[in-house]
Amino acid sequence: MDHSSLAGRIFRGVALALVLVFFMFPIVWIFLMSFQSNEQILRIPPHILFEPTLTNYQALISGQLRTTAGNLEISFMRNLVNSFVLSSAAVIMALLLGVPAAYAFARFKFRLGESIAFTLLSFRFAPPLLVLLPLSLYYQQLGLSDTYFGIVWVYQLIALPLILWIVRGYFEDISPDIEHAYRLAGHTWREAFTRIAVPLAGPGIAAAGLLSFIFCWNNFVFALILASADKQPVTVGALAFVTASGIQYGQIAAAIVLSVTPTLLLALYAQRYLVEGLSLGAVKG
Amino acid sequence: MGMLEIRNVDKVYRSRGKPPVHAVRALDMEVGKGEIVALLGSSGCGKTSTLRMVAGFESVTSGEIALGARQIHDLPPARRKVAMAFEGYSLYPPLTVRENIAFALKAQQLTHSEVSRRVDAIARLVEIEDTLDKYPRSISGGQQQRVSLARALVRDADLYLLDEPMGQLEPQLRAVLRGRIKGLLAERGMTAIFVTHDQTEASALADRIAVMEDGVLQQFASEKELKSRPANLFVASFIGEPPMNLLETEVTAGDGGFQLSVGSDITFHIPGGTLDQHARRTLEQNKRVRVGIRPQKVAVGTGDVQVRVTSNQWLGDQSHVAGECAGNLLIAVAASRIAARPGDVIPFALEPRHLHIFGADGVCIRHAEVV
Amino acid sequence: MARLDINAVGKSFGPVRCADGLSFAVEPGEIVAVFGPSGSGKTMLLRMIAGMYEPDEGDILVGGQSIVGAPPERRGVGMAFQNFALFPHMTARNNIASGLRARAGNEDVASRVKSISKLLKIEHVLGHMPRELSNGQKQRTALARALIGNPDVLLLDDPLRNVDAKLRYEMRLELPSLLRRSSAAVLYVTQDYREAMAIADRIAVLVGGRLVQLARPEEVYARPASVAVARLFGDPSINLAEVEPQVGQGGLSADVAGTRVRLDSGDRTGAQGPCWLGVRPDDLVVTRNAGDDAIPARVVAITPMHERAVLLLRFADGSEWLAALAPDAPVASADDDVFVRFAPESALLFDRATGLRVGQPDRRQAA
Repeated sequence: MDHSSLAGRIFRGVALALVLVFFMFPIVWIFLMSFQSNEQILRIPPHILFEPTLTNYQALISGQLRTTAGNLEISFMRNLVNSFVLSSAAVIMALLLGVPAAYAFARFKFRLGESIAFTLLSFRFAPPLLVLLPLSLYYQQLGLSDTYFGIVWVYQLIALPLILWIVRGYFEDISPDIEHAYRLAGHTWREAFTRIAVPLAGPGIAAAGLLSFIFCWNNFVFALILASADKQPVTVGALAFVTASGIQYGQIAAAIVLSVTPTLLLALYAQRYLVEGLSLGAVKG
Repeated sequence: MGMLEIRNVDKVYRSRGKPPVHAVRALDMEVGKGEIVALLGSSGCGKTSTLRMVAGFESVTSGEIALGARQIHDLPPARRKVAMAFEGYSLYPPLTVRENIAFALKAQQLTHSEVSRRVDAIARLVEIEDTLDKYPRSISGGQQQRVSLARALVRDADLYLLDEPMGQLEPQLRAVLRGRIKGLLAERGMTAIFVTHDQTEASALADRIAVMEDGVLQQFASEKELKSRPANLFVASFIGEPPMNLLETEVTAGDGGFQLSVGSDITFHIPGGTLDQHARRTLEQNKRVRVGIRPQKVAVGTGDVQVRVTSNQWLGDQSHVAGECAGNLLIAVAASRIAARPGDVIPFALEPRHLHIFGADGVCIRHAEVV
Repeated sequence: MARLDINAVGKSFGPVRCADGLSFAVEPGEIVAVFGPSGSGKTMLLRMIAGMYEPDEGDILVGGQSIVGAPPERRGVGMAFQNFALFPHMTARNNIASGLRARAGNEDVASRVKSISKLLKIEHVLGHMPRELSNGQKQRTALARALIGNPDVLLLDDPLRNVDAKLRYEMRLELPSLLRRSSAAVLYVTQDYREAMAIADRIAVLVGGRLVQLARPEEVYARPASVAVARLFGDPSINLAEVEPQVGQGGLSADVAGTRVRLDSGDRTGAQGPCWLGVRPDDLVVTRNAGDDAIPARVVAITPMHERAVLLLRFADGSEWLAALAPDAPVASADDDVFVRFAPESALLFDRATGLRVGQPDRRQAA
């Protein structure tokens, strides 16, 4: 109902603006920082107006970091590629494992089913550091440490529970009768799964995939411990800017902008899917 | 002056990116004190929007609503003195059935014994005495609906609003509960409006029925009147079970009246004297008109309309015989069993005096004779 | 075409027995309505035949072959669901054709889809997605999908539940001939006794997972096997009173709400002792005149229904009955004092301990 008075509307506007400024300011500031040199950034008081420079981005892309102490080799672009490779592979693997598992959890009641599902979810509750020490020890034993596969595998701790629980909900929303109808029409359960269940849960699968991609991309701890320099993603690679001669704020800002942009775009894209949900016109509620 | 007055009310739903939906158009209605009124229509006809505007859950886009001489369309729901039973029951899950019903009486500052006396009485009326100490989720849907009804009816309010009040009731209980609730409303002189899509329920409970379609009030009258004097084609075909038989006829003037015929198979002679001036003019100006006859008025086994039976169903207390004639499906309802099998050709009697005649705009220009 | 046999089928879910020794057969081309209150195991029976659940005991045979344990796609069973269960990402055409593609290959798919959709009057919406269809069109599409494969057994799970009243009535007239055309053995689940009577050749009445009566519709209505069945058929439902009939002068009689009423009619074997007396509302006569066998009552309310006036009557002892009066009967008004009587041959008696009907009143079938 729109019974609100003018004062109410003004108050709402102001409150919204405050919240917006509070959360958006750091992002805007980082964006501005990425176009400034370290000296400009460290001026006190800070200036809103400055002469923009692209040196930070140049340094990142060329891999040459000039500091007062001399030239430093950094592999930011390689890190960026690593992030892409690792996150994509992790999501693909999690989808291959997680979607059938989610279907099983949604459709079949079996002994310990709920416990298994919950255990998988609980991986998300445990602080990653807890599992990291034993993990890194037996990764070394198994020869998995510092391999792409090893990192992708450990990323399953992030992606798999997410996909399992989101997609399970979507599968549960599909009336089982739709699949029954398909089977009675002469199709095997495998066909019912691939031609009915998966397409209908499509938006959910896409949303879960995109979300887990973002979470994998943003992961720091696993890669920090388990990956060496040539396999590190951007999150870990950013550490290189903390140099002996000081912290390179400008480059850090530029690196953040570059590494956040893909996930930001993805998030904006996935949001549409998440909200859209499933509108199954064929089943009466 | 009526107890509830709805004056020229419009409701438009606007949502971004979609064309606005005009749910209720220029609605004018007056409900007298102690009257029971049904809002009847198919889904999306505007009946629920109307109820919710009266209750205060929707604002009116334009127009006024007054209850007992108070303007209420700007008041919040709690200050309108209306009681409502919701279609989805909306029972409070952490409260027992007894507490749910008593909750409605909280605001009235009654003594403890008075509250339990009222709760017990209403619980007996809707037959939920056994469930009073249970929680809503542990009782069946039908019982929950009865609790929801009890919670609305136990209150003292100027107006009772019931949204699909009996849709989920157990079929064996429905007829008795209708009778009891109607008796209770009448005894206490309570004014009530209920929304339903079920015309059986509407005619059973209501003194007057407001038939809505497409946001427009089509006709507001007693059940008898809706059946014998439907305002237009929509009301004629919507009210009545089975639906009215409709035929497209060709008009020829002559014999001091008009001949309405369907091919050479059915001919009705309408004496000019049974028509008013407007009806006569309409028939003179139109080559074709639609006519309707209630299945209950079609006699089976006599008459000169030969039909080929397509189905003959005995429902325990009446027969429904469907037959085809000149491409039209005619349905007859008889009180006794009819010996006819699909494929047989039997006579139906369609008497001209039972015909409703509709003009080109769908408005009824002549009603069937009322005995 | 094959016969459906259900042999001593039982099924439990925890403590709930939803099928208990169910045995009956459906001939090809026959329509059997499975009717009962909600929770009586109707839908479970259908699902066991379709293969979504397996029976704990007993056997289900199609054409003499057991189908228990076979996957749903190999049972030769077609089904229409209450919630339609259309594939939302396929057009109506592909929904209907989905049954054929798997079985018949691609040649005559188009022509068969065309003929079945013509029969069901949905040719004009074949290109639509399910969300663009009205409920009536959805149900017709679902029926077409179930019918097109020419299944041996056709299961219809309350198919008209979610369809509006007018369409439901139309379908009620159309369905029997449509279903017979397929010459499948048809099981039709419904919660509406009128639908069951209109559509079925025989009605199987289920109560609490048990088959309590299987007979032709008019038989079930006129001679219900038990008081539970009697209550399920008829709207308004049958009036009941606790009576203890005794044989005296002039035959069998009983106290009904304080009035001595004659019940002597036909065979009343076993009708002495605690009984339920059942009288259908349309068998009651309401007058203003006292007399023999006339029970005094007060009219509480009048609720018109299907062209009849339904009177809620309250007797002196507080019990309530309903009377359904013909439209031309003189109608009393609320708060009137009236007298109610009924012909002895319209009274049904049921044993109060077992609920089973006792004896058989001499009731001539209405002409």
